Amino acid sequence: MEQVLSIRNLCKKYPDFRLQDISFTVKKGSIMGLIGRNGAGKTTTLKAIMNLVHPDSGEILFWGMEMREEREIRQGVGYAAGGVGYYHRKPIGEILRITKKFYPGWEDEACIRYLNLFALDPGKRLWELSEGMKVKFHLTLALSHHARLLILDEPTSGLDPVSREELLEIFMDLADQGTSILFSTHITSDLEKCADAVTYIQKGRVLASLETGDFAERYRLAAVSGKLTRAQRESALGVRRSKAGQTALILKGQEGPFREEGVIISPADLESIMAHLEEGRL
Amino acid sequence: MKPLMYKEFTLSAAPLTYIFVAFGLMTLIPGYPILLAGFFICLGILYTFQFAREYSDVLYAVLLPVKKRDVVKARYLFVVCVQWAGMLLCGLLTLLRMTALREAQVYQANPMMNANLTFLGFLLVIMTLFNTLFLGGFYRTAYYYGKPFILFSIAAFGVVGVGETLHHISGLGWLNVSSGAGVGAQAVVLLGGAGVYAAGTLLSMKRSEERFEKMDLGG
Repeated sequence: MEQVLSIRNLCKKYPDFRLQDISFTVKKGSIMGLIGRNGAGKTTTLKAIMNLVHPDSGEILFWGMEMREEREIRQGVGYAAGGVGYYHRKPIGEILRITKKFYPGWEDEACIRYLNLFALDPGKRLWELSEGMKVKFHLTLALSHHARLLILDEPTSGLDPVSREELLEIFMDLADQGTSILFSTHITSDLEKCADAVTYIQKGRVLASLETGDFAERYRLAAVSGKLTRAQRESALGVRRSKAGQTALILKGQEGPFREEGVIISPADLESIMAHLEEGRL
Repeated sequence: MKPLMYKEFTLSAAPLTYIFVAFGLMTLIPGYPILLAGFFICLGILYTFQFAREYSDVLYAVLLPVKKRDVVKARYLFVVCVQWAGMLLCGLLTLLRMTALREAQVYQANPMMNANLTFLGFLLVIMTLFNTLFLGGFYRTAYYYGKPFILFSIAAFGVVGVGETLHHISGLGWLNVSSGAGVGAQAVVLLGGAGVYAAGTLLSMKRSEERFEKMDLGG
């Protein structure tokens, strides 16, 4: 499948944080979720991709082109960051009217179609919109110039469950039409619902970049009532307390120390994987 | 550049920026340090920077399919256009004072700077200070404008002080005449101001473009 975005060994150093060797690819018509806890480096990664921050090293290719071809690339990319907006007191119709002058491929019919589909009133101002509607405005803007790649930073944060579900369905519809989506989130259930692939960032490094199903396939969750034995703790990737006792995240195929009476081994969901990997051993 | 300029004038500009161009009318105030017109025209431009920062204009602009350095160039061109509008107003009123109003009672025995070519030259120097100290200072961060504006203000008031002092010095009275032989020499001052303005603005713009290109933007 055609690679829309390819990141290779992206590094960026700050005084108190660094991104190290971030690598992943986004394919045409696919949805990739970027997960990690707050401060893991998701936003910095997205900003580096958008050339808002300058990587120290590494390669970022859009459809095989480097960001040197900035104008051409930005014609095909839409970006939105949750909670961050611009011209929030201007009517969205005015923002669209001015923005369209920058895009030769802008289609007014598409713009009107998406305004209607998302029930956006051009006379409203951005600050008057709910968080979900703001994301829809940014999607309208991007889709009106036929963006083929959407990069969204925490688009679902702050949304109620119904709005989140609605937005995820829109993502899936867009992906079906060939649009690729890369979005960051720490809401793992969003990814299970719509993401084809997941890139997990921990402390500025990619822990894994896999198809969504492969994540669950890779890990197992072992639950014990009471406490884990020393051997069990040592072979676990992370341990958490539960109401009944303790749970341990283990790699599939390394269940040995847990094969005993009273231990329940089950597939791990993304939330459990993230919670255990981030917390380490108790 | 055309869409960017359209954006500057219609989306990014604060209405007060345009209104403050009218401070060029200060050229007509008798017995007043009329060079302050230049300061107020530039103060009007500051409102666009406040307005644009409040609206996260930098983030909006850099996400557009334009070269990053063109974002800076467009803002400089916008500032230059506003300054030229101010200069045009001041220039026309100066012409009025040097011709039809030359004998007007209110401008006789004026202890302050007269509206003449020296005045216009000094105005250009004040605007150069804005373009170098303020714009150049702003584009160190593309966010903070307080310190650059204070620096500009201090320097601009310094120029007003110099302008109001020089013509009182023996032998430099020609700087303040409104007609006669001194006007020819004043043309040199005006040309000098224009040269300083062009060079200062261009250098500042190039420097700001380079800085902005390398800048990490928080958004």
